[in-house]
Amino acid sequence: VRASNVEGRLRDLAPQVLAVLARRYGQFDACEDAVQDALLAASRQWPQQGMPEHPRGWLIAVATRRLIDEMRADRARRVREDAAAEPEDGREPPPGEQPSEGDDTLTLLFLCCHPALRTPSQIALTLRAVGGLTTAEIARAFLVPEATMARRINRAKESIKASGMRFTLPPEAEWPERLNSVHHVLYLVFNEAYVASAGPELQRIELAEEAIRLTRMLHRLIPDDGETTGLLALMLLTHARRAARVGPDGALIPLWAQDRDLWDRAAIAAGVRLIEHALSSAPIGPYQLQAAIAAVHAEAASAEETDWRQIVSLYTLLERLAPNPIYSLNRTVAVAMADGPAAGLADLAAIEGDERLAGHHRVDAVRAHMLELAGDRERAADAYRAAARLTTSLAERRYLESRAAAL
Amino acid sequence: MKYMLLIYDNADTRELFFGPEGKALGEEIETLMAELTASGELVGGEALANPAQTRSIRPRDGAPVVTDGPLAEAKEHFGGYLIVDCDTPERATEIASRWPNARFAAMEVRPIMSVGSGQEM
Repeated sequence: VRASNVEGRLRDLAPQVLAVLARRYGQFDACEDAVQDALLAASRQWPQQGMPEHPRGWLIAVATRRLIDEMRADRARRVREDAAAEPEDGREPPPGEQPSEGDDTLTLLFLCCHPALRTPSQIALTLRAVGGLTTAEIARAFLVPEATMARRINRAKESIKASGMRFTLPPEAEWPERLNSVHHVLYLVFNEAYVASAGPELQRIELAEEAIRLTRMLHRLIPDDGETTGLLALMLLTHARRAARVGPDGALIPLWAQDRDLWDRAAIAAGVRLIEHALSSAPIGPYQLQAAIAAVHAEAASAEETDWRQIVSLYTLLERLAPNPIYSLNRTVAVAMADGPAAGLADLAAIEGDERLAGHHRVDAVRAHMLELAGDRERAADAYRAAARLTTSLAERRYLESRAAAL
Repeated sequence: MKYMLLIYDNADTRELFFGPEGKALGEEIETLMAELTASGELVGGEALANPAQTRSIRPRDGAPVVTDGPLAEAKEHFGGYLIVDCDTPERATEIASRWPNARFAAMEVRPIMSVGSGQEM
């Protein structure tokens, strides 16, 4: 059995196994530790000894045994007696006791992304409990020491324990709000893969793919939820550009300069299909609008042939639905492309007083781009340099300096 | 977002931290460190030894030359740092304001450059 096959299978099974334990025994934190131990044992044994006939049952049995050992060690008398009566042979629970795998995974996602947890803890716990990643893997992806990541996970589990949250699906009335935080967590994981994380290229792509895998899983569970579909489409359409967005020397390549032959057409087709379906069948939302914007870019043969007017309307709608100064800033770029740099600069002048944009390098970068389009090379170069000084990303700094130098 | 919190000392603060008032100040630091560890915000940090033990390297005629002692006769010198991973710059600033050196010498909050691939433009 190849180690990579085993790993993929284990990560698919991780949330199901955890859900079975959490439902049977409560004590989410202890169950989660036990499942991690079982996953680790499997990742050592299966590649050498072959996959067991019932991998899920095997994992449940091993995790249950760990959990019971732990309970005994804790001398939790009542729990120990309950637990000792449980089967230890890996038998699946009787069907009546078993909600669908889908409900289980959804319950788990809602729990890990509970609004009472801090965002970094939500992210860490989701990747471990739902994604089946180890603490070390998550720490590497986010460039923090393993101890720091372990604390975030523990803190999340302590909060869950302290609040007495139960492993049950929240009432449907709470779903929209709870789904918001699930979407936010998945979006942040994807964004981290793209913007912040360093390390080998491979590692970044893996984190992005993990975000896509989890979002796809969520989409399969609730295919009629427009924002879930929109988020998946947004990720696929963004990820489709991965080969084109960084040059061979690691330099950042902006959207307008990318070699569109390098875009992943299959991913674009899948993303476009998803977003078209969502827009025609579900209430509109911010992720759908962002995906729609990405789809307009994806379908254009070049920056010049892009339907910029449609992008302006989509951003205008997005700003109304989810006010965010970065959306307004992006709208000004589309205005400059649709109606010329003077219109873009006028639009920019109207929003740059927003104090949430104060000191943000993107304001100067956008201004520089418009001044360059207007042919004002000197002021464009100054604005590129101002943006370069303000960014906290080395890749962006190099890109902005190179734009200034080219003028 | 990761920030480095730069901790500055002056001639008095080092003595202060090792003197009779040092115990209470040390406890303040321990409380804050425990909070940052528990929250998963603490990424790292170190305290530096006495600046008298500094060796400085400066160019002379384009070549590095080593001298004993800090670079310049400054009233404040760099005494140590923390690296925190915070949701907002306000939170990083709050942590720095609660570090005792903020009452005696100075603290600085500096965003850390990321070496990732950057935002698509």
